[in-house]
Amino acid sequence: MSSLRTRAVTGGILWAVAIIALGLAGLSSYTTLQLQARFLEVLQTRHSQAVVAVVNNSDSTAVLENAIGDLVFQVPLSGQYWQVHTDDGRVYASPSLGEARLPAPTGRATAPQRREFVGPNNEALVAIGQWVRMPDGALWHVRVAASLKSFEQDRLSLRNLFLRVFAFVAFMGVLGALAQVTVVLLPLNKLRRDVSARWEQEGGMDVAEYPVEVAPLVSDINTLLARNSEIMRRSRRQAADLAHAIQTPSAIMRNELDQLMQQGHNVQDAHDALDRLDAQLKRSFARMRADGTDGATGVATALDVALARMQRAFDALAKNQGKTFVATYDAGLRIRMDQSDFDEVLGNLLDNALKWAASEVRLEAGSSRDGQIMISISDDGPGIAKDEISKVTQGGHRLDTSKPGTGLGLAIAHDLVHAYGGKIMLSKDKDLGGLAVLLRLPAAAVPKRRD
Amino acid sequence: MRVLIAEDEPVLAGQLKKTLMSEGFTVDVAMDGAEAQYLGETEPYDLIILDLGLPVRDGLTVLKNLRSGGNDTAILILTARNDWTDRVDGLDAGADDYLTKPFHMAELSARVRALIRRHAGKATPVFTHHDVSFDTRTNQVTVKDVPASLTSQEIAVLSYLFHNAGRLVSRAELSEHIYQYEGERGSNTIAVFVNRLRTKLGSDLIGTVRGRGYIIKASR
Repeated sequence: MSSLRTRAVTGGILWAVAIIALGLAGLSSYTTLQLQARFLEVLQTRHSQAVVAVVNNSDSTAVLENAIGDLVFQVPLSGQYWQVHTDDGRVYASPSLGEARLPAPTGRATAPQRREFVGPNNEALVAIGQWVRMPDGALWHVRVAASLKSFEQDRLSLRNLFLRVFAFVAFMGVLGALAQVTVVLLPLNKLRRDVSARWEQEGGMDVAEYPVEVAPLVSDINTLLARNSEIMRRSRRQAADLAHAIQTPSAIMRNELDQLMQQGHNVQDAHDALDRLDAQLKRSFARMRADGTDGATGVATALDVALARMQRAFDALAKNQGKTFVATYDAGLRIRMDQSDFDEVLGNLLDNALKWAASEVRLEAGSSRDGQIMISISDDGPGIAKDEISKVTQGGHRLDTSKPGTGLGLAIAHDLVHAYGGKIMLSKDKDLGGLAVLLRLPAAAVPKRRD
Repeated sequence: MRVLIAEDEPVLAGQLKKTLMSEGFTVDVAMDGAEAQYLGETEPYDLIILDLGLPVRDGLTVLKNLRSGGNDTAILILTARNDWTDRVDGLDAGADDYLTKPFHMAELSARVRALIRRHAGKATPVFTHHDVSFDTRTNQVTVKDVPASLTSQEIAVLSYLFHNAGRLVSRAELSEHIYQYEGERGSNTIAVFVNRLRTKLGSDLIGTVRGRGYIIKASR
């Protein structure tokens, strides 16, 4: 669907064009009528003047050319002509006609008659002519003609003027419409920014910051976002409860099977089935978690807090195994990730690293040049061969069954990191020689202060 | 070595108890968080296995309360939840190790033994004193590499003294760590066990400080 701006501007332009076309048509026909009336009025006046001049000078036709005194009749082919026919067949004409003559009059009307001819210049002429009785009793026909060319010229120049004025008005109108649309859309643009900011910040949008027309929408979005995260929380809780409900009985069954095995019974198949069941459950819960993460809103985790927790926890675990865990990280880093998901990723990766490390696990966190968060976890264990790397992120592939585990840790971390648009890369650590896991996670903005 | 199992699922608690007792541990069971905290605060355990999903008072609260009360008993948390947040919460609150359900009983026993040993400040799983050696992983005792046959109570006494080697242990403390809660305790029987141990393993292994208790001198 086209944008509100496009709709408003297109609508404005179409409306302006329609109004201008209508206005132009109306104004043009009005001015044409006005021009026509004025043209005929001038022609009638000149005809009246010519009649008076002819009547006054019928006895001295030699001066007739000068008596009808308007200068336009003197200029050759000026488009303004007069012509007089006497009842005895003489013809007098204005100098502007030169050698050319207008057609002879027809009929004997003594009232002014309007006619149209083609003039000496092949232009359309409008003429007024009438038979006038001279003081000596003779009937003379007096005719004055004017070219329609000047009328057309006036009409066209007026139309062009109108067009220019209307174009200017239309241009200003479109500019105004754009400005208006921009101002009207400001709250909507703010809404869009705020909604995308909610990806990185906790808390809803302030309804009071929006105009009354937009406020209900903002309030609805707030409700929707809150409901979305509530549904996510609830389904996670349910998944965790389900895991809890299944895993205790599973532990009991496993112990019974262990005991039967010790007593010499062959329960290997049941044992394997239970292992598969547990692994499948674990994988499914991890998938549910990762799927529920797509589209997560309003989440951010302060890395120093989350990593300090991890450091204390894994310090204890490392000590149990006589290993060391060293974590170094910059202060003030924030990632756009839910803390429990971050715990899940780091817990799995650190647990894995600790399990395989000979003596040391290192964690380093900082930000990359493009503002993303980089976390590396490395150990001095055996590492993973290059061609095995893709297998471990698929899950369920235990490369080495000498240590307990489901072979899911890396896959779970991989799924979750990807669900947040992050990246996970495995390589050999140059320094420690074991596996190096490099995480690239989206950074979160520093929270806005609400006063 | 005395262990408290705080687990509300009676079958699982029973299985845990049975396994650990068969390995020479003295075991009490608490079925809810309040009982677990009470026993943890009043009885001298060498290790507490604490399920995080306990009724009445959840495991994490029990853990925090015990630690804030100055209790530094080794604590192994059990969780049936898959998420790491629970485990990290527990470890961050002072737990020493974790296991997620379902787990292998062998894994649990290994963790229990290792935790107790590390908590006692011992790095290796085999304790030796002159020509007597005690393997905490198998409870096997040898004298000059010849296996000695000991009863479970004798092993319990020997294990506690080895774990606390170099420190004088009173009869009362010994009896607290080898008898169950509400079980019959007699400090005189402790003397009987010690005498039998001396007969089987040599008289210079366990020293007596008259009126105060017993000691296995730390071996160099």
